[in-house]
Amino acid sequence: MKILIVEDEPKTGSYLRQGLGEAGYVVDLVDNGFDGLHQAESGEYDLVVLDVMLPGLDGWQVLQGLRRGHPHLAVLFLTARDQVEDRVKGLELGADDYLVKPFAFAELLARVRTLLRRGRAPSEPSVLRAADLEVDLLRRRVTRAGQRIELTAKEYALLELFLRRRGEVLPRSLIASSVWDMNFDSDTNVVDVAVRRLRLKIDNDFEPRLIQTVRGMGYVLDVPA
Amino acid sequence: MRTPSLTVRLSLLFALSTTALLVGLGWTLERAVAAHFRALDREDLSGKLALVQRLLGTTETRSALKKRLEDIVIGHPDMVLWVRTAEGELIFERRAGLLPSNTFEPGEAAPPSRAAGDPPRWLQWRRGPYGFRGVLVELPLGPRGGESAWVAMGIDIGHHQRFMASLRHVLGLSVALTAVAAAGLGWGAVRMGLRPLRRVTSHVATLDASRLDARLPEAGVPVEIKVLVDDFNNMLARLEESFRRLSDFSADVAHELRTPLSNLTLQTQVALGAVREPEQYREILYSSLEEYERLARMINDMLFLAQADHGLLRPGTTVVDLADEARALFEYFEAWAEERGVGLELAGEAQTCGDPSMLRRALSNLLTNAIRHTEAGRSVRIELGHERDAVCVRVENPGPDIPPEQLSRLFDRFYRADPARTRHSEGGGLGLAIVRSIAQAHGGTARASSQGGLTRFELRLGRADRETSAGT
Repeated sequence: MKILIVEDEPKTGSYLRQGLGEAGYVVDLVDNGFDGLHQAESGEYDLVVLDVMLPGLDGWQVLQGLRRGHPHLAVLFLTARDQVEDRVKGLELGADDYLVKPFAFAELLARVRTLLRRGRAPSEPSVLRAADLEVDLLRRRVTRAGQRIELTAKEYALLELFLRRRGEVLPRSLIASSVWDMNFDSDTNVVDVAVRRLRLKIDNDFEPRLIQTVRGMGYVLDVPA
Repeated sequence: MRTPSLTVRLSLLFALSTTALLVGLGWTLERAVAAHFRALDREDLSGKLALVQRLLGTTETRSALKKRLEDIVIGHPDMVLWVRTAEGELIFERRAGLLPSNTFEPGEAAPPSRAAGDPPRWLQWRRGPYGFRGVLVELPLGPRGGESAWVAMGIDIGHHQRFMASLRHVLGLSVALTAVAAAGLGWGAVRMGLRPLRRVTSHVATLDASRLDARLPEAGVPVEIKVLVDDFNNMLARLEESFRRLSDFSADVAHELRTPLSNLTLQTQVALGAVREPEQYREILYSSLEEYERLARMINDMLFLAQADHGLLRPGTTVVDLADEARALFEYFEAWAEERGVGLELAGEAQTCGDPSMLRRALSNLLTNAIRHTEAGRSVRIELGHERDAVCVRVENPGPDIPPEQLSRLFDRFYRADPARTRHSEGGGLGLAIVRSIAQAHGGTARASSQGGLTRFELRLGRADRETSAGT
């Protein structure tokens, strides 16, 4: 998977490159719109992370130019201003998603993964598994080590999210927005409480512990190596 | 065009009205004097005419008549007399050339419009520098009757006319002088009368943003201006309050940002002061990350409020079922509230129009606030309802009464009712300010009340049915 970052702020650019590189992607970084458009048109990238405020061509122009030849290339744009017009403009011009600065890196990573997963043929399994945990999606049944576990609707939704995005660190904001449709920051520890309750049911009496806290980032469900 | 000053305007109005009054008065006076003179003249003429009539009627011969008429006019140098028979024979004539040319020509039988027996016709005319008043009448002639004579008689009224002229002159002059004097006095009176207003304006001129605590003195202010002074003072009070909140806000922003920044700086400097284990670095970075996130959240909230202040929040007109929103929020907060031992209750139904995510955010902030301030074992209650044209959303929680002076400030940015509460256990202090901004963006209001151990936050929003019917 190859990602192109078009970002003129040197620190932001280099940290994004480092972060995405360490997440397993091949990353190129350019710092202006002309190079950005030129590189992106080479056709070797799966995703472009595009800053709106750029020297040369701005993000909108790059996006417009790009959409003429590459309508299916995934584009995630970054904007510093949380203006409705900006969002609408970006999405109208064909961006696939957007993030407002400052954003959490975990959030960016989660969105990047979503965008890259999209387009690939979804092999829809009927049972999700992690170690001895099994979730039967059709019957909505959860078992661990063969024992049936009763979950509330939201706990089930949370567990399904963790399993579908196994190995990915999910930030609290993404969990709140995916499970409860709450699309704003909350200064409460609502998500932590919900995750703690889920753990109590699926992790407490079993080994290994599947849901891990990644401090400062969020939560991840994975089988420890 | 420049608007004339109040003083000039009032002085001119004074002068104009005074002049109008005096002109009216002068005109009446002049008419009265003129009428008086006319009556005097006519009386004089009537007396002489009676004498002439008697002579004409009693004297036998023309020569005797002439002689006696001569006697009449002898002591009256200003008198004009002309007597002629109806057949045109001239009996007597004195200064007849001074008669008006249109009376009738000498030799003419009678004035065409006149017939014998008509009442005397009064005349007034001018000849050169002389003014005359006179009479033209047909009288019986001779003791035997059967004959008649035309008599034209006039007296010089120049002295009356000269008097009238000087009277008019004096009247005109005094009217003009009085008008000027009225304007001058009016100007003085207005200036004196407007002195309280000038005092107020000179007071206002000394005010600026640094002196918003000053008020205009109300003592010795006339009733008319007192309204203005009161309104102005009220405006100053509101401005002062807004300015104070604004400067409090700036100070609070600085404080709220400085604290985490100084924590971060200190922590990083201490961390760099010695070589540490990787695990320790990791700890420090985590701790920094938490501060960064708090900062980012606060800045995002402040940006949201700034957008609201600039009228950039446009809520749209989606119909929002508030009960659905409340239930969704209950699902979200359920686990957290349960852990705190706080129950959640919902009563009523209501729909409004606006932006679903903004309204959800407002409700969420109210709910967070309520859950935080509720003791374990008690419940937070959301009550939805209608009141006249408004939708009411009430979020109630049991809690100690909040003093009224704090209630009004609950929606202020960074305001915390209890200063002793630690920053970290609480929200950023912007949650309720955001609630109010969202309510206002939806054309509604947010209010807080507290009594009898119950704290209640109330939003009033537009009704969905009203909005949609207006929209279609």
